[in-house]
Amino acid sequence: MDTWKNIKDRESGKLRPNSFANRIKSNRISQLELSNHKELVSPHKGSINSLQIDLTEGRYLLSAASDASVAVYDVHRPSDFNGDGLITKHNCLFFVDKQHQLAHKYAVSSAIWYPIDTGLFITGSYDHHVNVWDTNTTQVVVNFKMPGKVYKTAMSTLSTSHTLIAAGTEDVQVRLCDIASGAFAHTLSGHRDGVMTVEWSASSEWVLITGGCDGAIRFWDIRRAGCFQVLNQSQTQLGRRPPLLKRSVLTKESNTKMRPVQKKVANGSGSGHLPIGRLSSKGPMKQKLHPGMISTQDRATAHYGAVTGLKVTEDGMYLLSAGSDSRLRLWDVESGCDTLVNFETVRLQTSKPIQLATTQDSTVVFVPCMRVVKAFDMWSGNARTILRGHYESVNSCWFNQQDQELYTGGNDRQILVWSPARSIADEMGEGDPDDQDSWSN
Amino acid sequence: MEEGEREGNGKGAKVRFLIEKATNSTAPDVDHRLLKAIKTVVRYSDLELRLSSQTLMDLMKRDHSQVRYLALQIIDELFMRSKLFRTLIVENLEQLMSLSVGFRRNLPLPAPPSVASLLRTKAIEFLEKWNVSFGVHYRQLRLGYDYLKNTLKLKFPNIQANLERIRQERKEREMRSKEILLNKYESLKEKFSSIKGEILSTMDEIDGCLDILHSKQELESDDILDDEELDDFRSLELQQLRREALNEGEKVYESGDNKVVFDALRELYKLLVTKHLVSIQEWVSVLVRVEVADNRFRDSTLKEFIDIQNRVKSVKKRCEEAGCSFLNSSKLDGEEDFWEEGNVVSIETPSSAPDNKNKHPDVASTSQNMSSDKLGSYAKESKSSNTDSLLHGGNQSESHPLRSKLLTKAPVVRWGSHLDTWGSNRVFMANQRGLDLESHWGRVDDDAVIPSDIISELSVPAMPYEEKQIEIQPCRAPLRKGGLCRRKDMKICPFHGPIIPRDDEGKPLGASPSEDMNVNITKTDLAEKLAKQAVKNVRETDKVAAKKREIDKQELKRAKLAKIREHNDAVLRDAALASTSRSAAFGEDDEVTNRDKKASLASMLKKKVTSKDRIAQKLLSSRAR
Repeated sequence: MDTWKNIKDRESGKLRPNSFANRIKSNRISQLELSNHKELVSPHKGSINSLQIDLTEGRYLLSAASDASVAVYDVHRPSDFNGDGLITKHNCLFFVDKQHQLAHKYAVSSAIWYPIDTGLFITGSYDHHVNVWDTNTTQVVVNFKMPGKVYKTAMSTLSTSHTLIAAGTEDVQVRLCDIASGAFAHTLSGHRDGVMTVEWSASSEWVLITGGCDGAIRFWDIRRAGCFQVLNQSQTQLGRRPPLLKRSVLTKESNTKMRPVQKKVANGSGSGHLPIGRLSSKGPMKQKLHPGMISTQDRATAHYGAVTGLKVTEDGMYLLSAGSDSRLRLWDVESGCDTLVNFETVRLQTSKPIQLATTQDSTVVFVPCMRVVKAFDMWSGNARTILRGHYESVNSCWFNQQDQELYTGGNDRQILVWSPARSIADEMGEGDPDDQDSWSN
Repeated sequence: MEEGEREGNGKGAKVRFLIEKATNSTAPDVDHRLLKAIKTVVRYSDLELRLSSQTLMDLMKRDHSQVRYLALQIIDELFMRSKLFRTLIVENLEQLMSLSVGFRRNLPLPAPPSVASLLRTKAIEFLEKWNVSFGVHYRQLRLGYDYLKNTLKLKFPNIQANLERIRQERKEREMRSKEILLNKYESLKEKFSSIKGEILSTMDEIDGCLDILHSKQELESDDILDDEELDDFRSLELQQLRREALNEGEKVYESGDNKVVFDALRELYKLLVTKHLVSIQEWVSVLVRVEVADNRFRDSTLKEFIDIQNRVKSVKKRCEEAGCSFLNSSKLDGEEDFWEEGNVVSIETPSSAPDNKNKHPDVASTSQNMSSDKLGSYAKESKSSNTDSLLHGGNQSESHPLRSKLLTKAPVVRWGSHLDTWGSNRVFMANQRGLDLESHWGRVDDDAVIPSDIISELSVPAMPYEEKQIEIQPCRAPLRKGGLCRRKDMKICPFHGPIIPRDDEGKPLGASPSEDMNVNITKTDLAEKLAKQAVKNVRETDKVAAKKREIDKQELKRAKLAKIREHNDAVLRDAALASTSRSAAFGEDDEVTNRDKKASLASMLKKKVTSKDRIAQKLLSSRAR
């Protein structure tokens, strides 16, 4: 009984509060299974493309679907009970579909909350539009016309100085839409094909990462022109850090012990400090590069085929990318090298962008692999659990850090809730009388 | 756990072996003994259960629908029983469903296709069953059910919903009928007195009619019955018959005088039976079934209705005793032709109205004439003739009196399609298939029926008239060159004049009269023969006078028979009307003679002209041949 031991340790003061919480959390995460007691009633008639829990309260789930509809659910308070209170049903709080006069005409590919509060949310659609909605009135407040189908929109969670929506579209250019002015602030050129996925850095409010159909993952500093880094799948490093000559032996030996220390450092260091410092040190180096070198570097690819999903870890030090080559790669952001972690994916969806999810402590990554969601150990690449429940391909998943719940949405129009097993009731043998063994004699 | 694992490696082979054996069969069901063995093995060991679920899932992947089908059946058995098994199966329900339902395009069900379709339906059925039983506890079951039902739109048997719906429908129906009953009950409350009054007045009228009839009958019947008392009856049978006859005699029969009363009675009887009795029964059933808070009115009304019903029944009985059975009379009124039974004599009983059996208006009228004209004398004669015939009948049918009696009566009818509906009261569907006029399909009217009487009208048997085979006698007049004339003519030989009976040498047999009288004589000769016979009879009055009295009674009887036959002939003739030109002509002739004869029969009864009797007798014998 790990839980009881942890509690005892905590009681005696052996365990610090922070690590106690982390242990409990990781314990719960390891027990994720399809929740029987919590049901999100999906009103969508098309496949679910995007899921996001709001960042302020961790309570409201925003879902976008291919039938041009968007819905918001309260994942804490159920609206309905079923089966003698055993099952709680969460109906959507509101639902915007084609009936709405300002709604999207075609599939909504992406829906995100405004990072500051739940008063706004942003949707991007295949009808070439990015809409900013007022949550309370469900009206469109700002509207951006894009040159092609919008695949992905993203806002920086760290940003204090800008309100930019990065939108990846069919078009080769990534556009930054400013909610404050209602106009395009930037147009980032560099990709040679449409941009499937965009992701803001978790460590700097100015750094944007984009993955294109050309297989390239580009890093942009929005304060400067052009991208400053293109990830190259042939640049690899063994391990989580580029080998430091002095401490290489030590690092390899105490790999697992090192981790929390490193993280603490990462968490402790002021956000945005590291990349900016790095940028400043790298910027001049880049400018020194030969123009021909720049062009070869510029043509580097991270995946064979399109990059369909990007996810930075919470600490902003690593980047996970999924490609249509059915590969999942973990990149060291600082060195720009593939860490050569072998994730045992079998097959990934190729035609659509997929949404990955990581836990807060960056130990587990949830990857939609066709009809199942696989939970991988981030550092070893081993599949911890396979979450089976969807009957068709899964497009998106979102991990609720607060409740340790996973939400997944797929082409079968379902939004499934995966929650830690209610182990206590089962251990006490308090199962439902209806669900017991019933042998005939 | 680890211990179990180790243990399982040794023991686990058992359940795997059993399952593999059970699924290795071509039978449509899993062998019961094997299934039971699997259950017992699995019941006491979680490890075996885990192993069984694994084995079964492996078997579900086999490339053979039969194996999958049997495995699915075992899965269902265990699923319904073990919780652990449920959790194990449910974890990979999607795979199980895709392997058993085959809804993935890239994973179709394997051969054989017949078993595959069976597997699919069974899997869908099981999923529904599982969902109903355990859906609350397993999200996966709900998801799978929802997906197959709402996304793939597969058709589920929907057992529970169907049951629910049927129950609901039944409830609604009951509610509706209850409401109708209540409405009827309310209306009865208002109308009760008028209904009751109507019925009572009808019954009063019937009582009145019956009273009138009975008072009349008392006047009539006394003198007839007195005569009967004189005779002694020799056998028990006869006595019984006589008693019946007497009872019969007590009844009132319709005659010219009381016809009006009878008509009224019949009318009222019809009203009583068809309307009032039915309505009473309806109301009683309404009262019995209705549920009301206040029972007083219901109970009292019910009691009254039952009383009235009993009274109506008794009145009805009395009516029937008085010979007013509404069904019979109406039937007879409707018919014009009535085929009388041949052997009337044996059934006929001495009574004031000898033709009570025959409700045919024609016959009835003649008999009425008869009885009114010569009531007294006729009664005596008929009595004696009856005894004869009854004796005769008794000898004939010693073994099966009733059967032989019926057999003699039974008309011999040609075989035909009309026999299909012989004596049945079935109704036929009129427009069941919707075939409308002129080969167009029309509306199907399920309620339209052809009533049985129309059917019987439609299937009236057609009887072609068959001429009697007449053997035409040769002329047999002596020829000059020797021998006899061989010409065969009906009446007159063109060379030798009328054909008359002759002896071997060709001399006419003038002297011997009636015995050798040409038996082949046809009806058309009748008038001629009559004249001839009359002449002969005048000559031989003396001789005949002696014989006459002996055969008198017999003749009377035969005359009656003749009359009946004549009537039957008429019917036959009508049926066969104009079948051939000759028969048509023949028929016309016959009709004429018949009319003559009818009159002659009536007169015969008056005057007892023996010559005519004899001719009639001859005729009869020729017919009877």
